Order: sequence, then C-alpha cells, then structure tokens
Amino acid sequence: MNASTLTAPDAPQTAPEALRPARRPGTATVLRWEITKLAAQARSRYTLLGCVLGPIAIVLIFNGQQTTPSDTIYGRQIHTSGYAMPLFLLAFASQWIFPVLASLVAGDIFANEDQHGTWKTILTRSVSRSQIFWAKTVTAIMFTIAEIVVLAATTIVASMLLIGTQPLSGLSGQPLASAHALQLVIASWATALPPLIGFTTLAILLSVVTRNPSAGVAAPVVLGLVMGLLGTIGGFDLTRRFLLTTPLDSWHGLLTEPPFYGPLTFGLGVSAAWTVVCLGFAFFSLRRRDITGG
Amino acid sequence: MSEVLAVDAADLTKIYGNVTALGGISVQVAEGEVYGILGPNGAGKTTFLRMLFGLIRPDSGTLQVFGRSWESHGIGVLEGVAGFIESPKFYPGLTGRKNLELLAGLDGGTTPTRIDEVLDTVDLTERQRRKVGGYSFGMRQRLGVAASLLRDPRLLVLDEPANGLDPAGIRDMRALVKRLAASGLTVLLSSHDMGEVEHICDDVTIMRTGSVVYHGSIAALREQAPAQAHRIATTDDDAAEKLARARDLDVTRTEEGLAVRGTQDRIDSLVADIVGAGIAMRGLSLDETPLEALFFMLTEPATHTAALDGATPATSGAHQ
Ligand SMILES: Nc1ncnc2c1ncn2[C@@H]1O[C@H](COP(=O)(O)OP(=O)(O)OP(=O)(O)O)[C@@H](O)[C@H]1O
Ligand SMILES: [Mg+2]
Repeated sequence: MNASTLTAPDAPQTAPEALRPARRPGTATVLRWEITKLAAQARSRYTLLGCVLGPIAIVLIFNGQQTTPSDTIYGRQIHTSGYAMPLFLLAFASQWIFPVLASLVAGDIFANEDQHGTWKTILTRSVSRSQIFWAKTVTAIMFTIAEIVVLAATTIVASMLLIGTQPLSGLSGQPLASAHALQLVIASWATALPPLIGFTTLAILLSVVTRNPSAGVAAPVVLGLVMGLLGTIGGFDLTRRFLLTTPLDSWHGLLTEPPFYGPLTFGLGVSAAWTVVCLGFAFFSLRRRDITGG
Repeated sequence: MSEVLAVDAADLTKIYGNVTALGGISVQVAEGEVYGILGPNGAGKTTFLRMLFGLIRPDSGTLQVFGRSWESHGIGVLEGVAGFIESPKFYPGLTGRKNLELLAGLDGGTTPTRIDEVLDTVDLTERQRRKVGGYSFGMRQRLGVAASLLRDPRLLVLDEPANGLDPAGIRDMRALVKRLAASGLTVLLSSHDMGEVEHICDDVTIMRTGSVVYHGSIAALREQAPAQAHRIATTDDDAAEKLARARDLDVTRTEEGLAVRGTQDRIDSLVADIVGAGIAMRGLSLDETPLEALFFMLTEPATHTAALDGATPATSGAHQ
C-alpha cells in the first residue's frame, strides 16, 4: 500500500437487520453472471469470430483448388455440389477441430478460478458451490452449441453461395434433390451436437480435476485423437462403439438408401452416458473439495 | 449484544496427512466483539477461517455462525458475513470496479453509488478503471476490504490483512480496521503480531500448531505478562551479567548483549551499578512489549524457557 491514507467511514457499516434485504441470487442470476464474465473474455469473442470467418476462408480455398481431397468422405463432390462441402467439412472437423472447440471454454471455465485463486473470492459471497457448478456447466455447453450453430450456418450458407445449390449424390449413389439435400446437411450437422456436449463435459471434468486451464483444454483434444485412433484400429470393435468419437460419424446413416438410424440412436445413448458420468464426477469433485489455494 | 454468538466453534479438527492443522480448537466470539486469532506461521489460523467460510470441511467438531451451521443452512451461513482469507484475489483482466460489480452480482446486485462509496472508503476511486492485474499488493488488499464492505457485513473476518504491506500500508490498514471495529461491527481478525491486535481486540485466542494455548481477554493476558525486557549492551557484558544476577534480575545473553527483565526502578539501579563499576554503556533499549514476550513464551516455549522462569504460563483461561 502506498502512503495514501485510508478513509474509514465514521458511520456504521452495518445496516439494521430488518432493513437488509434477503438477497440470495438464484441460479439464473449466477448463470447471467457467468455469461457476463465469459463475454468479457477476448478468447470467447475471437473463437466465435473464428467460427464465422474460418469456414468462409476454407470454402474459398478448397473451391479455388483444381484437385479435390478424395480421401475424405464427400471430398470428391465438393466442386459439384454446394451441399457436399459442408458434409466434407463436418467429417474433417470431427477429427480434431470439434474437440478443440468443445474444450476451449469448458476446459478453462473451472480451472481459471484455480489459476487466479478466485474460488475463495466467489465462494464467500451468497451463492453455493452447486449454483456455481451448474452456471459454469450450462455456460460451457451453451457456448459449444453456439460455436457449432455458427460454424454450421456459415459453412452451409458460404458453400451454397460460393458453390451453388446443385443436387447431391447420397452415399448409396442415390440422387438427392436440392431441398432434401439441405435438410440432410442440417440434420447431419445437428448429430454432432450430442457427442460435442459429451466432449464439453469431459473438458469440464478435466478442468475441475486438473485445476489447470492448459490441461483442461488440451487433455480432451488428446483424448479425442486417441479415441479417433482407437476407432480406426481393428480388434477394438466393442470399445469403438462406446467411444465419444464414434457418434460423430453416425450421420453417414442419414445419407444412405435406405437410411439407417441404429448408430445415431446408439450414439445418442453413448453421448448421454459420457455427459452424465463426466458431470457427476465433476460435480462431486467440486462439492467435496477443500478450497485451500489462492 | 444479542444472545446468539457471532461465532461458536467447538472442538474443530483438521488433519492433512501427518500434519494436524487444527487439533480440536474452540473459539467463541460474541456479537459486537473485536476478536483476535493470534499465532505464529502454521498455527492454523487460516485453516480455521477457511472452515468458517465453508471453503474446507472440518474432520470433526461443530461450527456455528450467528447460530447457523453449514450442515443445515448451506451458504446461508454467510449471510451478514464478509471478509477475506490470506491475500484477496480478483480477476486480473478486469478493472477494480468491474470486479466489484461482478462480486456484487453474486450477492444479488448493488447500486453504482454503493460501489462508489466502498471504493472511496478504501481510497481506490482514482484507480477503479484500471485492471486489477496492474494493481499493487496493497491496492489489491484494499480492494479486498471494499469487496467485503459491499456485503454490509455484521461480521467481518480478516486474515492477516496487514500481511505483506509496507510500513505505511500497515499503518493505514490498521487504522481502517480500527475504525471499522469502532463502528460496531463484529470483527474477527487473525494475526501473527501481538502489537497488531493488542490495541484493537477485546479478546484473543492464541494458537500454536493447531491448538489453543490461551483464550481470554487482552486485559487478563496483560496481567499475566512478564515485566518489560530491556536490551543492554556494555563494554563488558560478562561483568554486567554478574551485576544483574547479583540484583536477582532475570537476565539472558543475546547476540547483541543482555536481555534483562524487571521493573523500571530495578533496571535503573542496574544501569547505575554498571556505570559505577567502570563499565561503559553502549546501548539501552526496550525489547518486545510484555504482551509480545508472553505471546512468544506461549507459542514457542522451547526457545523461551529461561524467560518462562518466574512467569505464570497463561493457559489458565485456555479452553483445553
Ligand atoms: N492444503 C493443505 N495441505 C497440507 N497441509 C496444509 C494445508 N493447509 C494447511 N496445511 C498445514 O496446516 C498447518 C496450519 O496452516 P495454516 O495455513 O492454517 O496456518 P496459519 O496459522 O494461517 O499460518 P500463516 O501465519 O503462515 O498464515 C500448517 O502446518 C500447514 O502447513
Ligand atoms: Mg494464514
């Protein structure tokens, strides 16, 4: 402290008991609080901006190339239909971009309180640990959903505007008329949401447990890559079904003739199970923990 | 003063591995009181205050704040309670004012005028628009007081608020605590410095390695304190020591000379003896205050065994 004098008030600081309003904020207030904090972070604003600009740039680049990336699903068709590009990018993003997006905020949202030593600051106000937990969790999930919606919308609109609205060939070779193709593309992107909510809660768990923002963000991405790798190795068929990366491919069933929904519904169950387990462990870990740092 | 105690802790224990941070301490603070928790590093002061705020759970024992417990009232325990543990922490990327606004949000909101008021109280009005990351240690400490005052507390809990401040900062922080205490607030103040609490607090609990070694009023403690010690340096400390012993004074050798305990009259006579014996005085100064001396005796008895001779161990008022 410098030499300036503290000027303590002469009047008592305490309000009479009867005058003091009972003001215990509800979880909705804590949620608004958490969102305000997130909005104040440059990282979140730049990420959303990236979700708008990134797909436009990628569509422009791939559209300008002579060759097509034929080793990825729908890669061959990206020049012939504006609906192939969003599907190709969906498959491409599933490899590591999605896990990164899911953990960017979620992996940090709990651990940054450890990093700044602010758990003790916020937990000595008028809200419980549970309220803080749910506010942070809902904020992280909403952010993931926002990222995916923005990413999907820009990708689809940019592809339709830059490449066109030509009919698409289904995965069984069946022709899909423009309007139907658009519906299927939107539905395909929507199937990424449940596993990505799963990834978000995995990042939340790692953020709570490691108490380290870098670990919270990086570990889910590494785990995603490992799961992706396990999925491609033979002999892990049973394991493969329960990996969080597997539901990211379940949209393929929407584009065959006849469509098959089995992997989609099973993937929904797998995503839900990961979500519940991760959130359960994260919740009890935070509830039980001694806040000794800071 | 109301019937309900502001703080009523009984037999609190907390063990970390093989460290007993709290070995069954009991502390009672009446409403309106200014109460000190005193102890050297590692005594368990912070552990106790963290428990009060619900940041850590006791292994055993009970704790009530204004008659409410964590088990039955949850976060409701902290209604009317504010303060900070160790050095207060904020979001470094946000301004001081924004931090206060956010924290007020966790209390159900406040008015901009109230934020102006508390910023003014801690003299941060001019720096309120700067990011906390650029604040000095002392500014953060003051922002911590501001954040606490925003809650309009009945009980203010401060964990070594002057720790880490420069001398001017310590003086200002002490003055602030004093004036807050005088305003009728119940204050629970932890410190490792007897000098910090002896003029502010009515009652103290003195702790050492997780246990209470004294519990009672400062006035009662003062009665049990040993006589004031003086540091004496001479050209012949051996001879001076002999003269002190001949007068039956409590004397110990220190690096700089002698530490002699006795009433002012007896010290005066000793000085006359020394000078009369042809020994030159090189220094005569007051050592720790009697209360400080007692505090050291209580909290580190091993190194003060000599000083303890003749002094009453002041554990008569202790809880256990
Ligand atoms: N999280 C922890 N893990 C292990 N040991 C701990 C932990 N927290 C506190 N301790 C130990 O408990 C004892 C009491 O610590 P505490 O911080 O309560 O002391 P203190 O009186 O506040 O000391 P100081 O004056 O240094 O702040 C110390 O021995 C400390 O090492
Ligand atoms: Mg401490």
